[in-house]
Amino acid sequence: MFGFFNKKYDNPALLEEMKTRQERWFAFLDKLEARMLELTTAAIPGLKEIFDQDTDPYKRAHSNMLQGLLGQINHMRQKANDIQEEQIIDFVYQAEATVPAVTSTVGRDYHNRIMNFRMACLNRHYIFDEKLNKCMQRLQQAAGERNLEAAYQEQLRAFESIRDKFSCQQCGGNITIEKMFFIDTYVTCPFCHSQNTFSPSTGARMVLHDARALAEQRTAHLRRAYEESNPRDPEREKVYLRAMIDEWSKIIPDMAEENEKFYERLLREQSFHHFK
Amino acid sequence: MAEEKDNKLLSYLERLKQQAATQQHYGGDITPEKAKMDMRDCPKCGAGRAFEKGLTACAYCGFVFMEVKLTDGINIKKENNS
Repeated sequence: MFGFFNKKYDNPALLEEMKTRQERWFAFLDKLEARMLELTTAAIPGLKEIFDQDTDPYKRAHSNMLQGLLGQINHMRQKANDIQEEQIIDFVYQAEATVPAVTSTVGRDYHNRIMNFRMACLNRHYIFDEKLNKCMQRLQQAAGERNLEAAYQEQLRAFESIRDKFSCQQCGGNITIEKMFFIDTYVTCPFCHSQNTFSPSTGARMVLHDARALAEQRTAHLRRAYEESNPRDPEREKVYLRAMIDEWSKIIPDMAEENEKFYERLLREQSFHHFK
Repeated sequence: MAEEKDNKLLSYLERLKQQAATQQHYGGDITPEKAKMDMRDCPKCGAGRAFEKGLTACAYCGFVFMEVKLTDGINIKKENNS
């Protein structure tokens, strides 16, 4: 009756501003992506090299370099998030506040334009984020997998060759180590019943550290089968987890009880992830 | 310009690699050790540790090796208390 809903509203400056902001945002992410890809591609040979040269059993030099690179990539993610917050999200709220209400015809048109601008910017950011995750994955997998099976078999052979070469520190009687230990353990002399302490070699200690990774390597085909199922099949995951835990307990039989508890926890988490 | 950028990136990576290789590891370097057998003699009477009488005190003079009370673990059981 008063013509409230037929008022003309035109704001070319806002449309122009959205256009330039979108172009600037896309160009910014393009540049960031180019830098990220450049850094990843250039860093991979160096990562491989340092991994091969690293004599530390935990590969800490490689880990230091990897963390440095991941830090750089995460810094780019943070930068993109900050700019998005400042230049896109804040701007969208401001723009929405200046245009007429969404219930009016002109208002709806402008709100739709702002929504389109917002979605275009967020989708571009999503693509950037996906690329960033891929770069991180490439860096993490650059060194390739260690041959843990060979290292484990070597330790088994080493143990077989030394297991009956120890003697009691009290009476000198021969002591045979009944099974492979991965941590310091009391061993009783069968002759004088004195308590000796057996300290396993560094290599044997590393078996305990690498046991889960080795079990995962042995059951990698089951994991792949689960990951390739679409939608992800919880039954296949269960098969994988069972096999992985069994392998783990086979490598470290003393931890079988704890591994079983861990398996139960993983199953509980699994039912949470696959909740329908 | 592009070449300069490439050089900058490569020198950054080289520095990062060098830093990673020379950085002091938390907890120190690990020196590979062979498996060995050892024994803790009683510092008071010099006797070896006897299994039957438990691990926490010397079976001969009563010297207390450790104050803690042992609980069930993987290799040590609570029966190992003196």
